[in-house]
Amino acid sequence: MTDQTLQIPPAAPRRQMPWTSLLGVATILGVVALWSLAAGLGWASPVFLPAPGRVWAALMRAATDGYANATLLQHVGASLWRVMAALGCTMALGVPIGLLIATSRVGRGILDPLIEFIRPLPPLAYLPLIIIWCGIGEPSKILVIGLAMLAPIVISTVSGVRAASESQIRAARAFGATRGQLVREVMLPAALPSIFTGMRIALGAGWTTLVAAELVAATRGLGYMIQSAAQFLVTDMVIAGILVISALATVSEFALRAIERRYLPWIGRA
Amino acid sequence: MSLLRLSQVSLQYGPAEGRDVPPVLQGINLDIRRGDFISVIGRSGSGKTSLLNLAAGFLSPNLGRIEIDGRPVTGPGAERAVVFQDDALFPWRRVEDNVALALKLAGVPREDRLVRAHRWLADVGLDGQGAKQVWELSGGQRQRVGIARALAAEPEFLLMDEPLGALDAMTRDQMHELLLRLWRQSHAGALLITHSVEEALFLSTAVVVLAPDPGRIVLHEEFGYGRRFLDGEDPRALKSEPGFIAARERLLSAIYQEEHA
Ligand SMILES: Nc1ncnc2c1ncn2[C@@H]1O[C@H](COP(=O)(O)OP(=O)(O)O)[C@@H](O)[C@H]1O
Ligand SMILES: [Mg+2]
Repeated sequence: MTDQTLQIPPAAPRRQMPWTSLLGVATILGVVALWSLAAGLGWASPVFLPAPGRVWAALMRAATDGYANATLLQHVGASLWRVMAALGCTMALGVPIGLLIATSRVGRGILDPLIEFIRPLPPLAYLPLIIIWCGIGEPSKILVIGLAMLAPIVISTVSGVRAASESQIRAARAFGATRGQLVREVMLPAALPSIFTGMRIALGAGWTTLVAAELVAATRGLGYMIQSAAQFLVTDMVIAGILVISALATVSEFALRAIERRYLPWIGRA
Repeated sequence: MSLLRLSQVSLQYGPAEGRDVPPVLQGINLDIRRGDFISVIGRSGSGKTSLLNLAAGFLSPNLGRIEIDGRPVTGPGAERAVVFQDDALFPWRRVEDNVALALKLAGVPREDRLVRAHRWLADVGLDGQGAKQVWELSGGQRQRVGIARALAAEPEFLLMDEPLGALDAMTRDQMHELLLRLWRQSHAGALLITHSVEEALFLSTAVVVLAPDPGRIVLHEEFGYGRRFLDGEDPRALKSEPGFIAARERLLSAIYQEEHA
């Protein structure tokens, strides 16, 4: 009794259409060309707009000789560590908070106002307070970045839990799930796709906050490198730093997408 | 002999003080014993799903009692398993882990529960498909996984809400045979919600017709076609017997009596 009817073909892998990618590459090349032209024709002084070649040279200089007390790799390492540590801590805290808000009235009553309070605050606004409370060490930097990530993680978890269908929840209950099992077996897995979206938004917020966090008494990090360069109007190094942050953000986005494809293959085909 | 009994059950959605909300079900009396196969038919909105949700323990009645062997039902329980219309499988788990859900929740070690899940998968005709992902299966195969998941809980009562509603006619016929076989083999009491009169008549030891507004039982009749099929009679011959055709007309007119009155 095998039935071949209604065989659902696996969905095509989600991939950008080629011409869209081409358009993206063309746009970047166009901007670089325009930038070269502007710098080459001297439309702006090199202090304002160094040529792409000089930015590249600055990048190489930072990579080999180092800049602002450390090599580029060390700056990248410091920044990456801060952002990832903040993401890890925020996930460990934010997902349970989201589950509590989504599954318990008491949890929602207590935690929802707190999240709503933090959500609209710009990190620069609470940075001084965190320094007063936690000093200028590594924890403050991670805390600022983590706070910026908290709301997207919590909110995406809360809305993700709603992706569990009523019958899936009832199935778990019918087969004897306790409250904890219901959360572990149904609500959390159902929320994972949304949590991943939240992680991507959170990472964006993290990179945004990084430079602000490294404003304060940092001796390493891309934000610190950029600020050091800016103080001496080393514009090529500033742009190099910005490009590195942008590259890191892009790489982490693709890494998340790859993890999603590997571990959440059911997304969009349930 | 276990008995799932609904006595004088009424159900009303919404706030109790909202007097103008009419009851969805009123004065329902229904006994399901092990070995029974009871089908409930009725128009859309007549309260079939509500009835099943009451029996499953997802809802509590506003009036009346629901009992198993005299003990009141206060929620879902291990002696009742449910098959859902939309299959309600977990796409984040492989097929075998879906089937093993009840065993996992009960704390059975993974090795043991997978062995048992594979046996149930073989029983529903999905031998060797355990490692597949849910979305790699057809609609009919998914419903079989849902049935295997329910049977793996080794229930005394199997509650099914239109499990075949989304399947094509040929797959349905195959599933009828499967359901009857599994029902006999498991000795469970089955409650099947369906909107197919012929399906109800063919499968059941008794058919209950629900009429809407408020949902109530207007016909309760016993049949034996499923048993005769299991004893080897040809299904098409059974379905073209004059008795079968007359019974189908009786059930249909019970379903539609108020529209024509
Ligand atoms: N959760 C609910 N809240 C309010 N009304 C409901 C709910 N579920 C069903 N109803 C109403 O109860 C009636 C019976 O529904 P249902 O039991 O689903 O019938 P059936 O399964 O026979 O189509 C319908 O009028 C429906 O609108
Ligand atoms: Mg229904």
